[in-house]
Amino acid sequence: MAESSRRFTYAILGLAAVLIIAVLAAGCTQQPGDGQKTTLKVTGSTTVLPIAQAAADAYMDDHPMTDIQVAGGGSSVGVQSVGEGTADIGMSSRELKAEEKTRYPDLQSTVVASDGIAIIVNKANTVSGLTLVQLRGIYNGTITNWKAVGGPDQVIVVVGRDSASGTREFFWESVMKKENFTATQLEKNSNGAIRQTIVQTPGAIGYVGLGYIDAEVRAVPIMVNGTPVDATVATVLSGKYPISRPLLMITQGPPSGVAKSYLDFILSPAGQKIVTGEGFVPVA
Amino acid sequence: MSDRQAVRRSRSEIGVRVVWFLCALFAVITIFFIFAFLFYDAYPIFEEIGVWNFLSGSVWNPTGFPPAYGIYSLIVATLLATFLAMAIAIPLGIGSAIYIAELAPYRVKAWVKPAVELLAGIPSVVFGFFGLVVLTTWIRVSFDVPTGETWLAGSILLAIMALPTIISVAEDAISSAPREYKEGSLALGATHWQTISRVLTPAALSGITAAIILGIGRAAGETMAVLMVTGNAPVIPDPIWDVLSPIRTLTGTLGIEMGEVPVGSTHYHALFGVAVVLLVITLIINFSATIILNRIKRQQAPPASTGIPRRFPLTGWMERQGIFFRAHRTPILWGLMAVVLFAFFGLTGLGIALVLYLAVRYIPGRISPRWAQRIAFSLAALCIVVVLLALGIILYDILTKGLPYISWEFLTEPPSNLGRSGGILPAIVGTMYLVMGSIAIALPIGIGAAIYLTEYTSEGRLVGIIRTATDLLNGTPSIVFGLFGFAFLVIYLSFGVSLIAGQITLALMVLPTIIRTTEEALKTVPVPVREGSLALGASKWQTIRRVVLPPSVPGILTGTILSIGRVAGETAPILFTAVVFSTRFLPSSLFEPVMALPYHLYILATNVPNATGQQYATAVVLLGIVIAFYAIAIVIRHRSSVKYRW
Repeated sequence: MAESSRRFTYAILGLAAVLIIAVLAAGCTQQPGDGQKTTLKVTGSTTVLPIAQAAADAYMDDHPMTDIQVAGGGSSVGVQSVGEGTADIGMSSRELKAEEKTRYPDLQSTVVASDGIAIIVNKANTVSGLTLVQLRGIYNGTITNWKAVGGPDQVIVVVGRDSASGTREFFWESVMKKENFTATQLEKNSNGAIRQTIVQTPGAIGYVGLGYIDAEVRAVPIMVNGTPVDATVATVLSGKYPISRPLLMITQGPPSGVAKSYLDFILSPAGQKIVTGEGFVPVA
Repeated sequence: MSDRQAVRRSRSEIGVRVVWFLCALFAVITIFFIFAFLFYDAYPIFEEIGVWNFLSGSVWNPTGFPPAYGIYSLIVATLLATFLAMAIAIPLGIGSAIYIAELAPYRVKAWVKPAVELLAGIPSVVFGFFGLVVLTTWIRVSFDVPTGETWLAGSILLAIMALPTIISVAEDAISSAPREYKEGSLALGATHWQTISRVLTPAALSGITAAIILGIGRAAGETMAVLMVTGNAPVIPDPIWDVLSPIRTLTGTLGIEMGEVPVGSTHYHALFGVAVVLLVITLIINFSATIILNRIKRQQAPPASTGIPRRFPLTGWMERQGIFFRAHRTPILWGLMAVVLFAFFGLTGLGIALVLYLAVRYIPGRISPRWAQRIAFSLAALCIVVVLLALGIILYDILTKGLPYISWEFLTEPPSNLGRSGGILPAIVGTMYLVMGSIAIALPIGIGAAIYLTEYTSEGRLVGIIRTATDLLNGTPSIVFGLFGFAFLVIYLSFGVSLIAGQITLALMVLPTIIRTTEEALKTVPVPVREGSLALGASKWQTIRRVVLPPSVPGILTGTILSIGRVAGETAPILFTAVVFSTRFLPSSLFEPVMALPYHLYILATNVPNATGQQYATAVVLLGIVIAFYAIAIVIRHRSSVKYRW
C-alpha cells in the first residue's frame, strides 16, 4: 500500500504542477509594449464582420499599438452594444429601427459599403430567372415546384436565415412585403451555411450576400420589367439590381479618436479596395 | 496516542468532512442558481403570452408579423431526436462495451479502448460539419428525398457522439464486476456468454445505468452538430414517424438565435423560456431513466424472479401493477415493441416484430448454448466494428483534408484575412487556458463531492438531493450552461465576455462527469478493505487517502480524460461567454476574451467563404491537442494501474 499511496501522491503532485505552470503561463503572456495598447471594440452584424475584420487587420499592421477586437452577434446586438456603451462601434446590415432611434437618440450611422442579396440555387438548376413576385411565392409556400417557375420538375427546398438575422429581416421587408415565411423553410444561421446546403441539394434555393457567390452555386437573375438582371457589384452600384441595402457602422455621436481614424481608413481608397475584395459594393 | 492528539485528529477529521460536504453541496447550489437565473430571464415571456400558449403554440416566428412564440414543434422534435439516437446508440454501445471488456484479445483491447476514449474528444462542430457535407448527402441520395437535412441525420450524428461516453463508462462497469462472480459462474459450467449475459451484465447494471444516463444527457443537450444537420424547420414530422422530415430542436433554436438577439427584448426572454423548457425536459428524461433503471436493478438484485410475486399482501395499486407487470412482463414488452415498430415502419415493422418474437421465443431452446454464444459474440464484435468504422470514416475525412494545410506558420502565427491565411496560435492558447482553468476548478470540487457521497454518507434524504442535483447537472444541455454563464457571469456579475466566464461555465458543465466517474471508481473498492484499514486504527480520512483513493486513480483519470475532451471541443457554452472572432493578442488577464479552436472552426465553417482547408486544418489541430491530453492521461493511468484485484 505504501507503494500505491506514493503513486497517488505523485499523481496529485503532477496535477498540481500542471496547474501551477498554467497559472504562471497565464501571468507571463505580456505583450510587447503592453502599456500603451489602445483597444477598439467592434460588434454586430455578421454580414459586415468580414469588412470590419479585414480592415482591422490592415489597420493594425500600420498601427501595432492598436488592438481592434471584432465580434459578431447580429445587427440588433450591434446597435444595442454601441447604444449601451459596451462597444465602440456597432455594425448593422439594416437601417436603425424607429424604437432604436428613440432609445438611443445620439447614434450616428456611417455607410461603409452596400450589399446585394443574391438568390442562389444549385448548379444543376436550369431556371432562367425569377421575378420578385415568384420569389415571394416560393418563400411563402404557394409555389412548391420548380416547374411552376420554368425550372425542372423538382420539389423546391426553401432555405433561409434564422429569425434573429438582419439579412432575413431585410429580405422579409423588401421581398416578402412582411408576409410570413413557409413553415418548412430550412433555417441557417449564416451565409456560409446557406451556401453549403445549396451546393449539395439539387432543389434548394437561398439568399446570401454577393461575396458568397462562387463557381459551386448559381446566382439566379432577377427579372425586372421582363429583363434579367444579374447580381453583380456593377448592377448593385448602378441601382438596377432590386435587392440591395447599405451596410452601416454606428457610433455614439460623431466618430472620434481611434474609431474615427479606423472609419476614415475604411472609407479611404485602400479601405474600399478591401470592401470590394470581400465581395461587397464600394460606396466611394 | 495522547488525548490532545486524538482531539486534534478528530478536529481535522471533521474539517476534512466539512470540506467534502461543501464540495458536494456545490452541485445543488449550481443547479439552483441555473434554475433561478434562467427562470428570472424567462419570466417576462410567460407573463406576456402565457405559459400554455408558449408551450402549445405551433408556430415559432419571433420576427414575423405578428411575432409568434409557440414551441410545441420544438419540444416534439427534441424528444424524437433523442429517442431515435438512443435506439441506435444503446445497443451498439453496450455491445461494444461487452466486446472490449470480455471478448477482445489483450492486444486489441489495448488499442480499442484508448481509441474509443480518444473519439469522445472529437468536437461536436467537427461532427456537424462532417454530417452536413457527407451524411446529409448520403441520406438525400439513398432515400431520394429533396434534402438530407433531417431528423434521421441528426439522430445518427447524436448516436455517434454519445457512443464513446456510453462505451467507456459501461466498459469500466463491466470490467470491474467482482472476479468471483465470473469464476463462480464459469465453474458452475455456464458458457462465457451465459456468464456475461446473466451474471456480469446484471452485476454491472449500476455502471451501465450511469453510461446510458450520461449518453442521454449528451444527446438531448447537443447543440452545434444538431443545428448543422437537422434543417431547423420548425415543423412536426408528418406523419410523426417520418424520420426524413426536417426538424428543429430546442437546442438548435438557442444555438442559432441566441447570439443575435438584443438583451432584454421579447425574443431574448422567449429564448430563455426555451432554455427553461429544455431544462425541464432533460430533468424529466433523467428522472424517468433513474426510476426505470432503479426498478430493474431491484428486480435483478435478488436471484432472478420467476414471475411469482415475492411480496404479499398487496398494498396498493402500484404494487398490483408491479406484480401484474412482472407476471406478464414478456407479452407486455413485446406488445410495446410491436407498437413502436408499427408506429415507425408501418406493417413492415409489425412483420419485423413478429419475426423477432418468433426468433427469440423458439430459437434459444433449439440452438445449443455454444451456438448462442457464437451468435452473441459475433454481434458484439459487429457492434464495435460499426462504431470504429463510423468514427474511422470521420477521422479519415478530417485528416486527409486537413493535414496538407498544417505548417509551422499555421501553428505559430495569429490569423489574418479572416482566418483564410496566417495561423491559429491565439485559438490554440485560448483553448489550452479554457481547458486548464475549467479542470482546475472542476476536479477538486468533483472529487471532493464524490468522496463525500460514497464515503461519508449512507443513502439519506440529503444525499438523495445531492445525487439528484448531480444527475440534473449532468443532464443539463451545454447550451443551457452557455445561457446561464451569459446571464449570471457575463451580465449579472459583469465579468463581460471573458476567459474566466468561459472557464467557470465549462467547469460547471463537466463537474457531474467527474463526480459520477469518481464515485464509480470509489465504489469498486470493496468494503472489507476499508474495514480492514479502520480496524488497524487508521482514521476515516487516512483510510480514504491511503487505501481507497490510490486504486481509484485510474477511474478518476478516465473521468478527467472524458472531461478534457468535452471542454476542449465544446462550442455552445463559450459561444456567448468567452470567445471573440479574431484577435492578434494573447489574453493578458482573466477578464479578456479569447479565441478558441472549436469556435474558430465554427466561424470558419459558417461565416467565411473559401476557407475549407483552414477549417480542416483547425479541426486536425484541435484533435491533436485533445489526443495529446488523452495520451498523457492514458499513460499515467496505465502506469498506475497496478493490478488491484480484490
